[in-house]
Amino acid sequence: MMRGPEARLRLVTALLIAALLPVIGQLVRLQILDRDRYQAEVDELVMRPYALSLPPDGTIRDRNGDLLVGNIPIYSVGAQIDLITDTQIAAAVLAPLLDLDEATLLEKFVIRENEEDLRWVWHRLAHGIRGDNAEAIKKLKESWDWLTLEPTWQRFYPESELASHTLGFVNADGNGYGIEASQFHLLQPRPAAGMGEVDVLRAPLSEELAKGKLRAFAGTDITLTIDRTIQALVEGELDKALELYGASGGTILVMKPQTGEILASASYPDYNPSLYSTYDVSEQGRFVDPAVSVVYEPGSVFKMFTVAAALDSGSVTQDWSYYDSGLIEYGGVLVRNSDGAGHGQQNLQGVIDHSLNVGVATLTTQHIGADVFADYVLRFGFGRPTNVGLFGEAAGLVHLPWDLNWSDGYLVTNAFGQGIAVTPIQMATAASALANHGTMMKPRLITERRTPEGRVVPIPPKVAGQPVSAETADYVVGLMEHAVETSIVKAQVPGYRIAGKTGTAQIPVSGGYDSVEVITSFIGFGPLPDPQLLILVKLDRPQVDLSVRWGTQTAAPVFNLVASRLFVLLGIPPTEPIDP
Amino acid sequence: MSVAWQQSTHGVLRRQEKVNRTLMTTFVVITVLVAALGLLYLGLVAASAHLSSDIWHMHSEMAEIQRESSRLETEIARLSSIPVLQARSVALGYQAAESIEYVDSIEAGAP
Repeated sequence: MMRGPEARLRLVTALLIAALLPVIGQLVRLQILDRDRYQAEVDELVMRPYALSLPPDGTIRDRNGDLLVGNIPIYSVGAQIDLITDTQIAAAVLAPLLDLDEATLLEKFVIRENEEDLRWVWHRLAHGIRGDNAEAIKKLKESWDWLTLEPTWQRFYPESELASHTLGFVNADGNGYGIEASQFHLLQPRPAAGMGEVDVLRAPLSEELAKGKLRAFAGTDITLTIDRTIQALVEGELDKALELYGASGGTILVMKPQTGEILASASYPDYNPSLYSTYDVSEQGRFVDPAVSVVYEPGSVFKMFTVAAALDSGSVTQDWSYYDSGLIEYGGVLVRNSDGAGHGQQNLQGVIDHSLNVGVATLTTQHIGADVFADYVLRFGFGRPTNVGLFGEAAGLVHLPWDLNWSDGYLVTNAFGQGIAVTPIQMATAASALANHGTMMKPRLITERRTPEGRVVPIPPKVAGQPVSAETADYVVGLMEHAVETSIVKAQVPGYRIAGKTGTAQIPVSGGYDSVEVITSFIGFGPLPDPQLLILVKLDRPQVDLSVRWGTQTAAPVFNLVASRLFVLLGIPPTEPIDP
Repeated sequence: MSVAWQQSTHGVLRRQEKVNRTLMTTFVVITVLVAALGLLYLGLVAASAHLSSDIWHMHSEMAEIQRESSRLETEIARLSSIPVLQARSVALGYQAAESIEYVDSIEAGAP
């Protein structure tokens, strides 16, 4: 057994080591065993949410770069109530800038009972402050440090109602209509926000910035195929037509058949997208775009597709003819011509010129057949959305022989556009196939996207199909041109070769069709032989004398007005000599 | 201090060690180096904090400029919008043309 100094030294060493052991134990507990708990406590003390200013949504422009939807900065104004020295003066100065009365503002300056124990009290005073008022408040903030201004953005439509259906809007939940809704995922900005160590001004510390996560991106900018000048012109003509004919609604579509670009899409009723939240619930039907979301029975305009199907399928030849007795019965359905008369021996030109229901019904029932006709209806794109890129596009309604509810009567009525429901955009797209020598282009509203990084993504034209051959298409166009020259004279545009077809469709009601109200329409294109414009005019329930309540008398003249101005506006020269 | 006293208190005789100059030099150099590195680190941290503050302020300025730019862009768009231009035209006395007759510029002898 050791004694003396050596033993004492060892004893002291042992005691020191023993004293150190609890310290080491605590270190292990704090740093390893309970690490997560203490880290969380530290994070709670020093970590705070931070965010860069929210960048704006993407803009929407027309094909010439004119702004159709932009963003204006607005501010939420708040106050740290416990720091206000004189609430009377503050209320007097701020009230007019916040568009509030002084009494209301003074109420907001009061510290409530449940806030008395708080270290600081903040109240929001107003939201949506913009323009000069916001600038004035910014200046006040330099001397009143209790004022807070939180910037954000508000959508702005400089053209008011112009192209409202195409542009649309989205609400706070991202639901809405038009391009705004369909492209919401691209238009919305990517904010930069996170949780990290911040300084007293809630600015992230250098380590947070160094992580490189702080990059906020504005939304993607979108350029439309719409031309705002053409859109305004078309909307103006639609307004005049609605007033002139007393129609309850209407649509005019202007399209380039070769590319599927939609230059204008005007529909009534329309709305102001800036004020969407102010519309009464009963008025919210206005938000639905009649051009893509509302179906109608097209009537005789559809005959161009029936004739095209008959020729292209080889069911009949160009020299086909039949004897028109004025009525036909098939599948339990009795069909008469619109004028109730028989027209004797007629050929395809006569069927189109006189818009003979019996003629096209003869084609479908005696030559084409249900399966082949249904195939062509589908080839022209009916019964499915065109995917033009607008929210809420309707597919329409077609009856097919293999459907359970198929009736032979549909083969008769579908031939002249009854018993089939379509949208104006479907009709324009299908007609563009004939105008474009049989090639049907996908209708499109977006010509390019510009990403926040500056990358331009062009959206090229796409072929949607070739429903009929070029030969068939050109022949049917020839029939339609002759119809305009001889029967639909009000659609003629001097100096330009025009092809077109009218429609006067009954409106289905419970148990049958309305005996008085109709939808009149006209689809025309020109100048031939390579049409550069296709225009669809549709008027709902025109309230003119029954004798002129026809597409020829109402929709065709509107086509004439729109086409003659657009040819000049777009610099499309006349192809024919103009008679003085 | 006597040898006897040292033996009685510490139990061992303390050795009289010579100062090792090399060791001392090394110690001083290391100390200076550590101090210099410490200063450098502090300087870098301070500069980094300053820079991050600058970046943050630039972010804020950029956002403010973007807001102002958007405000001006929308104001220009509003002033040049078709409804405003139409209203301005009417205020200046222009009238919408009711009947337009287009003249063929070539036949009319224009260059």
